[in-house]
Amino acid sequence: MDALNNLMYGFGIALEPINIAYVFGGVFAGTIIGMLPGLGPISALALMIPITFAMEPSSGLILMAGVYYGAIFGGSTSSILLNAPGVAGTVATSFDGYPMAKQGLAGKALAIAAYSSFVGGTISIVFLMLVAPLLSKVAVSFGPAEYFALMVLGLTAVVSLSDKSLVKGLIAAVVGIIISIVGIDLQTGTERFTFGSTQLLDGIDFLVVALGIFALAEVFYMLLRGGGGKEPTRNAIGSLKLTRGEVKQIAGPISRSSVLGFFTGVLPGAGATIGSFLGYSMEKRIAKDGDTFGKGNIKGVAAPEAANNAACTGSFVPLLTLGVPGSGTTAVLLGALLVMGVTPGPMMLEQRPDVFWGVIASMYIGNIFLLVLNLPLIPLIAKILDLPRPLLLSLILIFCMIGVYGMSFSVFDLLLLLGFGLIGLGMRLFGFPAAPLILALILGNIMEESMRRALQISGGDWMIFLDKPISLGLLIVALLSLTLPLFKKRIKKIV
Amino acid sequence: MTSLTLKRLSVIALPLAALASFTTAAQAQDWTPTRSIEFVAPANPGGGWDTLVRTVSRVLQQEGLADQNFAAINVPGGGGAVAWAQIARDSGNPHKLFATSPPIILVPLAGASRYDHTDFTPIARLITDYSIILVSADSEYQTINDLFDALGENPRLSVGGGSAPGSMDHISVAGLAAAAGLDASDVNYIPFSGGGDAMTNLMGGHIEAVVTGAGEAVGQLGEGSQIRALGVSAPERIGGGLADVPTFQEQGIDYTFDIWRGVMGAPDMPEEAVAYYQDLFVELLETDGWQDARDQLGWIDAYQDSEEFGAFLDQQQEQFSEVLSELGLLRQ
Repeated sequence: MDALNNLMYGFGIALEPINIAYVFGGVFAGTIIGMLPGLGPISALALMIPITFAMEPSSGLILMAGVYYGAIFGGSTSSILLNAPGVAGTVATSFDGYPMAKQGLAGKALAIAAYSSFVGGTISIVFLMLVAPLLSKVAVSFGPAEYFALMVLGLTAVVSLSDKSLVKGLIAAVVGIIISIVGIDLQTGTERFTFGSTQLLDGIDFLVVALGIFALAEVFYMLLRGGGGKEPTRNAIGSLKLTRGEVKQIAGPISRSSVLGFFTGVLPGAGATIGSFLGYSMEKRIAKDGDTFGKGNIKGVAAPEAANNAACTGSFVPLLTLGVPGSGTTAVLLGALLVMGVTPGPMMLEQRPDVFWGVIASMYIGNIFLLVLNLPLIPLIAKILDLPRPLLLSLILIFCMIGVYGMSFSVFDLLLLLGFGLIGLGMRLFGFPAAPLILALILGNIMEESMRRALQISGGDWMIFLDKPISLGLLIVALLSLTLPLFKKRIKKIV
Repeated sequence: MTSLTLKRLSVIALPLAALASFTTAAQAQDWTPTRSIEFVAPANPGGGWDTLVRTVSRVLQQEGLADQNFAAINVPGGGGAVAWAQIARDSGNPHKLFATSPPIILVPLAGASRYDHTDFTPIARLITDYSIILVSADSEYQTINDLFDALGENPRLSVGGGSAPGSMDHISVAGLAAAAGLDASDVNYIPFSGGGDAMTNLMGGHIEAVVTGAGEAVGQLGEGSQIRALGVSAPERIGGGLADVPTFQEQGIDYTFDIWRGVMGAPDMPEEAVAYYQDLFVELLETDGWQDARDQLGWIDAYQDSEEFGAFLDQQQEQFSEVLSELGLLRQ
């Protein structure tokens, strides 16, 4: 009953008129920021620090948290409509969301994304409320060896993401890992694959690759096929309504991915992007119609959307209970809290319960706002697909370029974007899947760093990966997920 | 190299220049900025440089001190190298400043930037932080000497830090080890992607100790904490939440280390402009707005004017080169 009392106390704070206004303002701004590729929650929050400076700490965090989860919520829109992920966490949403939009089901895809985000967000707030203090132990139990094992498990998804040819999928994954290596190596300070360019010292930003390989490649592909305005005009949006059967279909994926996403979010450094990929590949594997994933399966939209929103909430666990940021975005939030005179950490629950419980309660309200705000907007936003083809293609192009330039203010990154667009086009023409490349790019960095860190700690002894129970467990699951399909085939043959 | 020697000379001539300082003060009135000042944080939003740039800009505006707006600009890349390369091309521009700290010396020494502190105009050192050594609350080490005794016996014991080898955290703990009579390279330094990341690994028992900025650690210490501080690199105890943490000097190791932050300008900035900014920052540091922000962020005022700051930077470069060459990381 303690949690209930605390929650009531939290709602007392979150329901103050001024705080309701902040929740609304935060999630509204977040939705818009999320929709625009490139303008991510990190820069938005950094810009807001001067605004929140003078506020009550609880109000300030309520506003900023709203921007954060609002951006993850809204990020799916451009993934689905334009194949241009608005934020890193929504890349996986485009795998099935964009095919749905192409089939005239944009409305349905957006609606599923909104419902899944809402449920994922809400389930994870319940977790955050009930078990946050206990979970801080889980968050610290992951050291370098455990992260390495988790990344290995994540990488096994390459198999399920390379639809036709496993060899081509593996080649794409290797290219992804190579891209992740570019830049200064954290362990030794050595430059790798920079070719003496200062622009490449910090590596290649994930969103540049994602926008190039997905959105820009799509534009090039359409141009090649000469689709200039001859596209049959039809109702490109479709109905928003879900049938009872569809609701049943996505209920399982949403609840599983919400839980998975939340725990991924709790681990510092993992976050929404990895959570959404894990959710997507898990559902693809256990679904009976797994082979239709990537072609517009509604479960392929529901799973990553539930997972990324849940992970976003989950990332508040290490921030609020340990005072350590698990991601770039929560690092900015931590900075903002310090400026407002609140020190997140083990003592925060006792010293500033108003901030802790106020924010949790405000998240419930914020998620409802997001749903109410987004559903009526869907038909309006999806109208973008009714634009004449040449206009739409130029719009995507401009969107991507503004997004990339807005991130780094670097012309060099624009050239990179163009380069990755061409690579993406080549991959499509020769039947290489793009998803394994993106997945390997996300995981490669953490996997390599964790492996070397673990070996440095153990003095070069590889047994560290098997001695630690969590790491051993994850590696066994990874091995099973690779070998079980083989056994299944055998058994089928025998039968 | 010529510009470097010239700057060194000007440093030696410093006492003479003090005589002329009255004229400089008069000249300060001669120049005021004619447009917005570009204040560059050579990193992404959220880090130490960015916080300094945004805090300074905000307080200047709130207190109505500056004649022109300070526009915060992020130029990320290469641990600062991308921004430095841009600013170095803007020689003589009096409207361009940037936030700086030890990486302006360490990154070039590691061979990752063509430009170093001698290519820019020092304006003022503003604040400092110190480095702190942490262990988990239930660790057997009670003093910094316990830790180093153990390190001497078993060099595999891992010390985590928040930045790459050869950067601030590593230099600070390696220098400390050398001062304690060990080899600088005896420290098995494990780089993490940030101080927070390193502290999480400490709490989980994955590493033995952590070296990070005291300001970053202060929120983690105190009652109910899972970690404990063994010492700070300050010359005397830091107040506030760290009042109980002894200095290294108190524990018999003659060693201090400053994580300073300051402001530099484009190369060859006119003297009048330097004087203008110097005076502006002196005023800034006296305002209530600054003092509030400073205390909340765990910063300690450490003002030095342009000339002192320049001399300090030269001296830091020497000190860092020594430690880096002991570690085999010097690449210049």
